[in-house]
Amino acid sequence: MIHLITGGSGSGKSAYAEERILELNGDCRIYIATMYPYDEESRRRIARHRAMRAQKRFATVECYQNLEQAEVPRGADVLLECMSNLTANEMFWPQGAGENTEEQILRGVERLRRTAANLVIVSNEIFSDGIAYDSGTREYQRTLGRINCRLAKLADRVTEVVYGIPLEVK
Amino acid sequence: MNMVIGGAYQGKLKYAKETFQIGDGWADGASCAPKDLLTCRGIWNFHLLVRRMLQQEQDVDALIERLWEENPRLCIVTNELGCGVVPVDAFDRLWREKTGRVCTELAARAKEVHRVFCGIGMVIKK
Repeated sequence: MIHLITGGSGSGKSAYAEERILELNGDCRIYIATMYPYDEESRRRIARHRAMRAQKRFATVECYQNLEQAEVPRGADVLLECMSNLTANEMFWPQGAGENTEEQILRGVERLRRTAANLVIVSNEIFSDGIAYDSGTREYQRTLGRINCRLAKLADRVTEVVYGIPLEVK
Repeated sequence: MNMVIGGAYQGKLKYAKETFQIGDGWADGASCAPKDLLTCRGIWNFHLLVRRMLQQEQDVDALIERLWEENPRLCIVTNELGCGVVPVDAFDRLWREKTGRVCTELAARAKEVHRVFCGIGMVIKK
């Protein structure tokens, strides 16, 4: 099963996604972490997420790019968090996938889908503030938007989390 | 406590006034005095109240507890922030994230949460 979970910043989507994995009651929980600790603020964010996951028996797999290479045990319940970081890393890192980001990520998701029993993917709403960004940021929005659409098509279930309240989209 | 959320300029305040039948007694989060919050029937521009409090390094979580204790029948109207690109400015990032966390806490406690889109309300919690 693939479950795509999206929402704005601070909307409670991570807590909701973790609960979905926990309620599956599986033996093997994998957390694929995509945020690279490049400064104090990102380290604080990572620490906050780690504290949220403590006691929940997740094994963490760090994957900042090249999702296809992420090693996940067969039959695991996998939480991938989050698509917006992974997309930014692939697009903007010198060693990233660049213009092949969308295909690269979708191949990784396809591979995970075959390995994992359940795959919960967290993505992000970055599309609704109406501000005209520079071309690089617009390209990023376009790429993540396309990836979200393709993931939603693959997914059995799509949920938007609004201030902790799940809205079922699919 | 009830909440009305949504994007900017969607008719949230008008909707809140009609839906919860609160004609007056509104405090504007952009400018109201702290004491008004404990006696008003509704707060609008709640996200701007959060912004002001962060600018003055005041404790937003403590305010939530106080509102919950002393003004529990309040209606809170807020812009739904956090659905755009991560802002470059660190304070803007703090503001949108804090508003999200605080509103998630309020939504968990609220009796009803309505999300307004083009003036039309969708009840997302009741």
